[in-house]
Amino acid sequence: MIEVLGVHKSFGSLEVLRGVSLDVAAGEVVVVLGPSGSGKSTLLRTINHLEKVDRGYITIDGDLIGYRRRGGKLHELKEREILKQRRDIGFVFQNFNLFPHLTALENVAEVAGLADARHFLERVGLADKADAYPRQLSGGQQQRVAIARALATRPKVVLFDEPTSALDPELVGEVLDVLRDLARSGTTMVVVTHEIGFAREVADRIVFMDEGVIVEEGPPADVLDHPVHERTRAFLSKVLS
Amino acid sequence: MTSGTLTPPSTKDDDLSALPVVPARHPWRWVGVAFVLVLAAQFVHGLVTNPAWDWPTFARYFTAQSILTAVGTTIVLTVAGTALGFALGIVVAVLRMSKSPFLSAVGWTYIWAFRSIPLIVQLLFWFNISYLYQRLSLGIPFGPEFVSFETISLISPMGAAILGLALHQAAYAAEIVRSGVISVDRGQLEAAAALGIPRLRQFRRIVLPQAMRSILPNAANEVISLFKGTSVVSVMAIGELFYQVQVIYGRNARVVALLMVATVWYIILTTLLSIGQHHVERYFARGDRR
Repeated sequence: MIEVLGVHKSFGSLEVLRGVSLDVAAGEVVVVLGPSGSGKSTLLRTINHLEKVDRGYITIDGDLIGYRRRGGKLHELKEREILKQRRDIGFVFQNFNLFPHLTALENVAEVAGLADARHFLERVGLADKADAYPRQLSGGQQQRVAIARALATRPKVVLFDEPTSALDPELVGEVLDVLRDLARSGTTMVVVTHEIGFAREVADRIVFMDEGVIVEEGPPADVLDHPVHERTRAFLSKVLS
Repeated sequence: MTSGTLTPPSTKDDDLSALPVVPARHPWRWVGVAFVLVLAAQFVHGLVTNPAWDWPTFARYFTAQSILTAVGTTIVLTVAGTALGFALGIVVAVLRMSKSPFLSAVGWTYIWAFRSIPLIVQLLFWFNISYLYQRLSLGIPFGPEFVSFETISLISPMGAAILGLALHQAAYAAEIVRSGVISVDRGQLEAAAALGIPRLRQFRRIVLPQAMRSILPNAANEVISLFKGTSVVSVMAIGELFYQVQVIYGRNARVVALLMVATVWYIILTTLLSIGQHHVERYFARGDRR
């Protein structure tokens, strides 16, 4: 479903991604772990072309993201075409980024019909908050509206960029419940998170990143309990202690 | 309690919540209030008793037909200048913020040019445009003409005034709109981009309504300043409020009374604009209430 091949990305002189390759199958849930600054979020943002890659390429369902191949060259797509591609890729931000001047329902309806918008709000358990403005909702509720909005374009994959990192501890659970529910229903998901417990329970595969490369990957039981690489072990001993 | 022992105040023994609370007093505030009241009373007394204010003349002219017509002209100039100015201003702001260096330079140049020229000078230029170009024509540049007009019949003095006010206003409006757009959180644009919302819709539905919150107070300033700025147009002999009172006091020499007529009208209309501003701001603050 998602194919990332040899992706490099630098900000100025800082190389954030140094040749990352990753395949995600349809219906698979991949959790990306790693210390801050390891390039996890940047990787996620290159998948929906919020960041342009310097080298390498990304395809979703066989479609090249951000470029078109023609006559042995890659032609950059116009912004209009990129925006269209993004409707296949749901993205959930750490800071929700709900539109504050629109109600929960209007936020979702911005990219879907009203009936669909109601359906997706119901799916995240917030049908009764349809007319509330984001400021009137708790952080957890805001993030659930943001998830409903990301689902509303009926994307092929949904990317989550630390969806619970901005939440008070007691609100993390309700958001993870929604993610769990999505995973069970067969949604293809890539989740960057620090919630190791969630990763162990829900992930089909865990990818550990450090310093812009994928250090190791595999089923949760292998990566979390029997990490092969020294850097993985060091990271896990820090977050699990 | 035995004498000779020091007992520290204890909240257990004294129930503090039973004690009455004495609010802090501010005697100097009352001195200030008295001072201002005396000044205000003196001012009002002067207005009423000093015959030089000439209230009978004021009353005679305040609702005179010629003055009402002039107020109408002032309102037309303000509304047209604001509407055209802000419409053009939004376009210039979009140019100025464009990723294309060419379009951005066009926007910057417009703002630079029209902020550099004093309004009164610009107005006089437009007023005298027919000396500069007697005919305006449509056709192929440097080639044949298809249609042509007498400049003087195409641009009336009123048209020249509105054109000048709008072009001047657009430069300031552009910067106000730009400042509002910059103030919108980057995350909002990222979210809109991630959802694949088309560019124009992003601007209209997501950015502009949020930018309005910081645009509005500045825009209201500009509208009020333009409203009073229309008095500059009197140099073009257009019958707006200030020109009209000048004409009348030129005839009857009741300068103060007629200036008061204009002043009171300016105050009334500015007050109405301020009330309008309050309501519009409240509308765009929706979502900010808990």
